Amino acid sequence: MEALGLLMLGFKALMTWKILALMLVGLVLGIFVGVLPGLGGPNGVAILLPLTFSMDPTSAIVMLSCLYWGALFGGAITSILFNIPGEAWSVATTFDGYPMAQQGRAAEALTAAFTSSFIGSLIAVMMITFLAPRIADFALKFGPPEFFAVYLLTFCSFVGLGKEARQKIVISMALGLLLAGVGMDTVSGQLRLTFGFTELLRGVNFLVAVIGLFGISEILVTMEERLALQGHPASLSFKVVWQVWKTLPRYWVTLLRSSAIGCWLGITPGGAIAASFMGYNLAKRFDKNPESFGTGRIEGVFAPETAAHAAGTSALLPMLALGIPGSGTAAILLGGLMVWGLNPGPLLFVEHKEFVWGTIASMYLGNVIGLIIVMCTVPFFAAVLRVPFSAVAPMIVVSCAIGAYAIQNAMFDVWLMLGFGVLGYVFKKLDYPLAPLTLALVLGSRAEDAFRLSMIGAGGDLRVFWSNWLVGSIATLALVLLFWPVIGMAIERATSTFSSKTA
Amino acid sequence: MPKISQLFYASALALCAATPALAWEPTKPVEIVVAAGAGGASDQMARMIQAAIQKNNLMKQPMVVSLKGGASGAEALIYMKSGEADAHKFVIAYSLIYTLPLSAKIPFNWRDLTPVAILAFDQFILWTNAKDPYKSVKEFTDAAKAATPPFKMGGTGSKREDHILTAFIEKRTGAKFAYLPYKSGGEAATQLVGGHTAANVNNPSENVEEWRAGQVRAQCVFDAERISYKVKVSGDLSWNDVPTCKEQGLDVQYTMLRGMFLPGKVAPDVTTFYVDLFKKLVQTTEYKDYMEKQALKPVFMTGKDMTDFLQKDEELHKQLMTEAGFVATTN
Amino acid sequence: MTEVTSSPDRPVVRSRSVDIVVSLLLLALAILLGWDAHRIGASWADDGPQAGYFPFYLSIIMGGASLYGLAVAFLDKSRGAFVTREQLVRVMQVFVPTLVYCFATQFLGLYVASFLLVSGFMWWIGNILIWKSILVAFTFTVVMFLTFEIAFNVIMPKGPLEAAFGF
Repeated sequence: MEALGLLMLGFKALMTWKILALMLVGLVLGIFVGVLPGLGGPNGVAILLPLTFSMDPTSAIVMLSCLYWGALFGGAITSILFNIPGEAWSVATTFDGYPMAQQGRAAEALTAAFTSSFIGSLIAVMMITFLAPRIADFALKFGPPEFFAVYLLTFCSFVGLGKEARQKIVISMALGLLLAGVGMDTVSGQLRLTFGFTELLRGVNFLVAVIGLFGISEILVTMEERLALQGHPASLSFKVVWQVWKTLPRYWVTLLRSSAIGCWLGITPGGAIAASFMGYNLAKRFDKNPESFGTGRIEGVFAPETAAHAAGTSALLPMLALGIPGSGTAAILLGGLMVWGLNPGPLLFVEHKEFVWGTIASMYLGNVIGLIIVMCTVPFFAAVLRVPFSAVAPMIVVSCAIGAYAIQNAMFDVWLMLGFGVLGYVFKKLDYPLAPLTLALVLGSRAEDAFRLSMIGAGGDLRVFWSNWLVGSIATLALVLLFWPVIGMAIERATSTFSSKTA
Repeated sequence: MPKISQLFYASALALCAATPALAWEPTKPVEIVVAAGAGGASDQMARMIQAAIQKNNLMKQPMVVSLKGGASGAEALIYMKSGEADAHKFVIAYSLIYTLPLSAKIPFNWRDLTPVAILAFDQFILWTNAKDPYKSVKEFTDAAKAATPPFKMGGTGSKREDHILTAFIEKRTGAKFAYLPYKSGGEAATQLVGGHTAANVNNPSENVEEWRAGQVRAQCVFDAERISYKVKVSGDLSWNDVPTCKEQGLDVQYTMLRGMFLPGKVAPDVTTFYVDLFKKLVQTTEYKDYMEKQALKPVFMTGKDMTDFLQKDEELHKQLMTEAGFVATTN
Repeated sequence: MTEVTSSPDRPVVRSRSVDIVVSLLLLALAILLGWDAHRIGASWADDGPQAGYFPFYLSIIMGGASLYGLAVAFLDKSRGAFVTREQLVRVMQVFVPTLVYCFATQFLGLYVASFLLVSGFMWWIGNILIWKSILVAFTFTVVMFLTFEIAFNVIMPKGPLEAAFGF
C-alpha cells in the first residue's frame, strides 16, 4: 500500500496550525462566493489567486482547493432556495431541490445536498488516492470520437424521459442546441448565427441563460401564483439531519451510481459538467416511478449532487497529472500552479510528492470540515425563506442582474438574461420542459466540436464511433439508452409470451 | 472670485516647478485583458505580470486579470476597441490581431488600439509522439506524404497561427495533413500523447511537460536560429539542442508576438507610464524566469520599432492567409 | 396581501392563443436561423459537416416541431386561461420594475438602480413602511458594493453617483 504511506506523508504536511487556519478561511470564503451570484468557484479562486503568490505552494493550493470545495457546497444553496443555479452542475439540483424548498422541506433538501456532496467527493478522493497514477493513462485514451460518445450518452440518457408533449421536448432541445451554436464556430473559425451583431460574437453564455430561465422566470411565476416563496419555518434541528441521514442507506444504489458517473466523467477532461445531468437522468430512468421526479423527490437531490461533486473532485486529477483542467475552476488553479513554480504534468507526481499528496490529503480534510461548516449554515439559509417576498424578490432580481453582468462584464447579457426570463415564464406556462434546453446549451457546442473533429480525423467516416472498444461500448450504450423504451417493451413482450407459453 | 483662482494657479505653478510634471498613475485597479481561455499561454503570462508587478511593487493599484476568450479572442478585441481612452486596461495581444479580422471579418484593426510594447516572441516547434519512429523532420514528412488517410495535425483553433503554420508546412513539403482545431494548446498536447494525432505545432510551453516526461519528441523549431536556453530540460536535451527547421531542410520560419496594447485615444502620458512599467517589468527575475521556463524569446520593443514591426508582420499574415485560403469571402 | 375574492377572474388570454403565437415565433426563428446556417454552408463536405450543417438541420427539426405544435394548438378546443387579469397584474408588478431597473442600470449605474428597485418594490408592492424599505435597501446595496467593488474587485456598471465619489 504505497498510496497509504504517501497519503500519511500528505497529512503530515497539513498538520500545522497555519494550514488548518487557511483551510478554514478557504472554506468559509468558498461557501460565500458559491452563494453569491456571478461569483462562484472560478471567480472566487481567480480573485484570491494574487493573495497566494507569496505563499508556499502547499499552503496556497490547500487554501484555494478548500475555497473550491466551499463553492461546490455553496452552489447548491441558491439552487435549492431560489431556483438559481450558480454553476452549470447545480442546474440538475434545482429540478427536485427547489420543489422541496417550496414544500417547506428546504432544510431536508439542503442536508441531502450537502451530505451527498460529501459522499460524492469522498468516493472520488478515495479513487484518486488509489488510482491516481493509472488514471492519467485512461484519460489519455479519450480522443474526439470518445468525447462525442460521452456527450451522446448524456443526451440519450435524457431523451424519452419527459411527460411533456413530444414536440415541445424536441423544440426545447433544438432551441438549446441552436443557441449553443451562436458565435464563432471553433472548427471552421467562421462566425455563424450572429447576423452581424458584435454582441452575439461571444455566443449565448450558458449561465446568463440559466439565471434568466430559472431565477427571473421563477419570480414571475411565484408572483403570479401569489405563492410568495413560502418557507414554512424550516427549522433545522438535528432531527431533520438525522432523519435524512437515516434514509441514506436506502439510496445506496443512487449514491454509488452517481459517484461512479461523477468519477468517470470528472477524469475525462472537460466532462465534469455532464456528470450532474447524467446522474440525475439515470436515477430518474431506473426509478420505479420516474414521473414523480421534479416534484420534490429526495433522490433528485442526491443523484446530481453526488455526481457533481465526485466529478468536481476528480476533475482536479487530470489537471495535476496532465495539465488539462476538467472544470473552469481547475483551469484557474492550473494558472496558479505555474505561478507557484510547479509544472502540472506527468512528472508532478514524481517530482513534487509532498505537494501532490498534501493536496489529496487536503481533499479529505477539507471535505470533512466543509461538511461541518456548511451544515451549521443551514438554519441561517433556511431562515432567509422567512423574509417577506416583497423584500426577497427585488434582491433576487438584483442578484440575477449582478450575476449576468459579472460573467462577461456585458450589459447586453443583462438584457439577454431578462429575455430568457420571459422565455422561461412562457415556456413554463405552456409546459415546454426547460431541462433539455439547458442541457443542450451546456453541452451542445462541445458535442458538435467533438463530432466534427472526429469526422475530420476519420475523413467523414461514421464508423469511427465503433473503431475501438472504448468508443464502441460508450456509443452502443448511448444507443441502448436512446431506444430503451422500445427495447424495454420488446423484452416485456418476449417475457410475457414466454411466460404465457410456459403457463 | 478672481483672487482665489489666481492663488490656485500660482500654487499650481509653484508645484509644477518644484516637482517635474506630475506623471500620470492609475487611480483604480488595472485590468489585464486576456484574449484566450483560462490556463492558456496568455493567461499564464497575465498571471506572471500580475505577480511580478505586485511582488516588486511596480504599481500602487492592484491588477485584475479578466478572461475574454469568447469567439477565439474576438471578444477581447471588441472589448478593447469599445474601451476608447480608458487608461485602466490593457490587452495581451498575439497574432489574432491580424488573423481574426481576415478569417472572421471581425471589425477590428490593431491601429484601433495604442501599441505599448512587445515583451516576447513565442516560438513554434514541430512535435511528434515519442512512440513514433521519426528521427528527423524528413522521415516525418516523407511518412506524411505517403500516408492515407492523411496524418492528423493538432493545433489551437481554426485559421489561426497553428493552422497557418500547418498550411505553410504543407506548401513547402507537399504533404497533406488533416488539421484538427482543438480548444487549447494543452488539449492538443495530450491528444498527441494519447496518439489521437500524429503531430502538433505547439509553442514550447504548451508541450514542455510532455517533453520532460519523454512522451513527445521535438523535431524542429520554426525560427531562423535555435532557442538560446542551454539548461537541460528533457533528459540530456536543452531547448538549444532542438534544431531549426531550416537545418532540417524545412524552410519555414514563424514566430508570434506577445504584445501589450492600450485602448485607442489614451493620453500620451498614460502610454509613457505603461512603457515605463513594462520596462521595469522585463528587468524582474519573475519575468526572466518565466521567459526561460516557457522558452520565450525575450524582447523589449516599443514606439516606432513596434509599429514598424506590426506593419510588416501584418503583411506577412495577410499573404500567408490569402495563400492558404483562410480569408473570408462571404461575411 | 388580500385573500382571493370570489369575483370572477377573467382570462386575459387563453393558453391556446399563446401556444399558437409562440409556435409561430419559434417557426419564424427557425426560418431565420436556418437561412443563416444555409448561407454559411450547410452541406456535408469531405471532412465532415460544415459550420452550418447542424444549425441548418436543427432549424428544420425545430421548424417542423413548431408546425406540428401549431396544428395541435389549432385542433385543441380547450379554453384554459394562460393568464387571468389578476395574475397578469401581479406579474407586471414585478416585471415592469425589473425592466425599468435594467434601463436605469445603464444610466444610474447598478448600485443606485438596485437601491431604487429594492426600496421602491418593498414600499410600493410590499406595503412595508417607507423607512424600513429604505433602510433595508440601503444596507443591501452597500453590502453588495463592498463585496463586489471593494473586496473582490468585480467591476459593475457605475453611474454619476459613484463617479462623484471617485470610483
